[in-house]
Amino acid sequence: MRKVAVPAALVAAVILVALAAPVLDLPDPVQQDIARRLAGPSADSPLGRDEFGRDVLSRLIWGARASLTVAFASAGIACVVGALLGLVGGWFRGLGELLALRSMDVVLCFPPILLALLVVTLLGPGSSTLILVLAILFLPGFVRVTYAEVLSARSHDYVEAVRALGAGPLRILLVTVLPNVAGPILVQLSLAVAAAVVLESGLSFLGLGVVPPEPSWGLMIRGARSTMAQAPLLLLWPCVALTFTILAMNLLCDALRDWVDPRTASAVRLRAVDRVLPGLVPRRRNDALLEVEGLTVEIDTPSGAIRPVQDVSFSVRAGETVAIVGESGSGKSLTAAAVMGLLPPAARIQAGAAYLDGTDLLRLDESTLRRLRGSALAMVFQDPMSSLNPVHRTGDQVAEVILAHRRLPRAVVRREVIDLFRRVGIADPELRADAFPHEMSGGMRQRVMIAMAIANNPRLLIADEPTTALDVTVQAQILDLLAGLRRQTGMALVLITHNLGVVAEIADRVVVMYAGQVVEQGETKAVFARPMHPYTRALLAAVPEGDEKPVGIPGTVPPPHAMPPGCRFAPRCPHAEEPCRTAPPVLRALDGRVVRCIRAEALLEQSASA
Amino acid sequence: MQAVREVSLAIARGEALGVVGKSGSGKSTLGRLLIGLVAPSAGDVLFDGQSLRGLARPAWRALRRRMQIVFQDPYGSLDPRRRVGAQIADALVIHDIGTMAERKRRVADLLREVGLEPDHARRFPHEFSGGQRQRIGIARALAASPDFLVADEPVSALDVSVQAQILALLDGLRRRLGLTLLFISHDLHVVRHVCDRVIVMYLGRIMEEGPTEAVFASPAHPYTRALLSATPRLDPSRRTRRILLAGEPPSPAAPPSGCVFRTRCPHALPRCAEVVPDLIEWSSRARVACLRLGEIA
Repeated sequence: MRKVAVPAALVAAVILVALAAPVLDLPDPVQQDIARRLAGPSADSPLGRDEFGRDVLSRLIWGARASLTVAFASAGIACVVGALLGLVGGWFRGLGELLALRSMDVVLCFPPILLALLVVTLLGPGSSTLILVLAILFLPGFVRVTYAEVLSARSHDYVEAVRALGAGPLRILLVTVLPNVAGPILVQLSLAVAAAVVLESGLSFLGLGVVPPEPSWGLMIRGARSTMAQAPLLLLWPCVALTFTILAMNLLCDALRDWVDPRTASAVRLRAVDRVLPGLVPRRRNDALLEVEGLTVEIDTPSGAIRPVQDVSFSVRAGETVAIVGESGSGKSLTAAAVMGLLPPAARIQAGAAYLDGTDLLRLDESTLRRLRGSALAMVFQDPMSSLNPVHRTGDQVAEVILAHRRLPRAVVRREVIDLFRRVGIADPELRADAFPHEMSGGMRQRVMIAMAIANNPRLLIADEPTTALDVTVQAQILDLLAGLRRQTGMALVLITHNLGVVAEIADRVVVMYAGQVVEQGETKAVFARPMHPYTRALLAAVPEGDEKPVGIPGTVPPPHAMPPGCRFAPRCPHAEEPCRTAPPVLRALDGRVVRCIRAEALLEQSASA
Repeated sequence: MQAVREVSLAIARGEALGVVGKSGSGKSTLGRLLIGLVAPSAGDVLFDGQSLRGLARPAWRALRRRMQIVFQDPYGSLDPRRRVGAQIADALVIHDIGTMAERKRRVADLLREVGLEPDHARRFPHEFSGGQRQRIGIARALAASPDFLVADEPVSALDVSVQAQILALLDGLRRRLGLTLLFISHDLHVVRHVCDRVIVMYLGRIMEEGPTEAVFASPAHPYTRALLSATPRLDPSRRTRRILLAGEPPSPAAPPSGCVFRTRCPHALPRCAEVVPDLIEWSSRARVACLRLGEIA
């Protein structure tokens, strides 16, 4: 609300001053006084006088009436008519679409000046003619913007939902669609008003708009131009007025757009990344390929810094498959992004280290890291469609990855690509290498992504929900493929997933994350057979399988800015006691595993006796 | 493109029918057909004995409030710009049910019914988590007391811990309100505890249909078997030998001739390409569309 107030006040001030022109004690704006031609500022005319000796301040204020009327009226008419046409065209399609859009294309074909000349010739110059011309000129913009927005809005489920409720088209358009397309229309309106003020000036300047001696900002600029050498200030005043008005309008419309959108949280404040990490001497690890230690990721938000990943440690041995599981918001994907050096710009590493073969990935500079990514370190993402470039052949995209890290002749690369396609189980690899991504199914595209990832024999492959977008029969194929590749190449695999069934099938060890922290870690078989942390236990009970009904976990993951003071799972935990709610539990070793729960032993005994 | 082809089915009053299939199997289109959001190119839908074909506007409106839908995406299915209470009350406003005060009470009751607080009505969708938003979607669908509810993948976008909550909620509501439910899912295991009967679809056609327990205990169609065996299991002892399907799913725009599943079926014969198999009675209660049923089941 406060954000709208300032620009609204600015615009209101401009309009009020223009409206108040008759009651302000101003000299007559058309009264000439040749004797005081081009006079400088004085007591009775603070901004001086123009080439006919007329008072500049008075003309500026009276001129605002003409300029602003033309601007607001034309933009307003274009906005209302254009939005209606766009709504009708976008919603009803067919004939409505044809009429609304093609007629606009015709308007767009006319050069604006030609159109203006045509209308002025027919109707004679004057403010109302100008409003009509400008309204016609702005109309296509509004129709196009509204049409495009309606098209995208109508594909949303919430529009379908009101349709299912039995709402008529009028109600859907006005109550559901219009508010959702209002943002871009408002932006368009601010642009149109600003453009109209400028065009009014331009057309009046050409003698096609407001008729002299009636003042307008455009006419003032036109008049001042001829005496620019003697009185340059005369040019400045209308330009300042113009700039100020347009700026205020833009600010207002931006603020309005944010205001009508209830979702707009103020944007995340970007801060220069202060990545001066406490200097630890890199250690040489012999057993672990990847060793993540105390990783903490911080994101600045308007309500303070949050830590979506806090003190996360785990290790992956060569040839091992480690799964990271957790609900959305548990920080599992961010953990992987941090290791890959692919954190979003707002996030930064606050503490911790990630040693790959003894080198701390978190403290490498971007170019070294880029050399590592795609060679020693590779990643497969969830959505293979958006991760592949739609305009290049898949084989070329795989070849590019190879060439980025190795200098090889084209023919050798081609052979290697085809061999990779064969290894990831793509039938007819020679043919498929020439196919575009859209010619492949989702499962096939994921295979191409995997081919890219293993192209340079990575030591470590991080797969972030690699099968979530695929259906189960294809998912099974991809999991078998990953397991097979791991056996053949001895690479380590970090699998990020929310699917516990997948974890049980292929992971040697599992890291369970909750609300940014590791809550349990250990051998998959042991963890699933005898979960120590109540969260792991609840998660397993929620999986629909077998004869027992799945049991949900009450409540939701706490948001990162409102973490409970004690154990983060305590509010949802059926076993929580008073000490759980006061002090945060530490991660501790227990029975060959690590667990973050002070009641782990008691619960194990309980379930053993039950 | 034909998304759903020659599908015949009946849902009894108060029954919960599951529709299972991968993306592109036509299951969502089927759900929308049944409640008249999509018009069939051929065939008809009878709701309570009344044909949905060529229904006049007023009659349509009256039927509309009796059939509702819950969507998959808890983020896209709520209007981001309107308060939750107003969206739940939409059905009441559209069908002119109750006074302002009564509507307000109804919204509060509905919110409580789906496990939220009455004062949540004043909030916007973005203030809720995915699971809570799905509850709101359910409340909106229930506002005008429908008889028939289509739930289109209502838990697919949710975390597993929340999934079970929403499943329990739907199941409880159905029993308490006597709803007829069409539950669409890509996951057979999700359907299992909610539905009495289940239909397995592939490329727009029904492959198998029967009581849920029977389909789980002894799946007859090769596709149903592959689907069941492909789902990753938590418990290693339950793991069956995985039937890996060869090749890639064909495009729904160019389905294979004859049996649509034949290109990936481990039991396919040349004649499977020639004849479209009918759904035939198998055991006492299931129907299965497979030419080789007698030999392989």
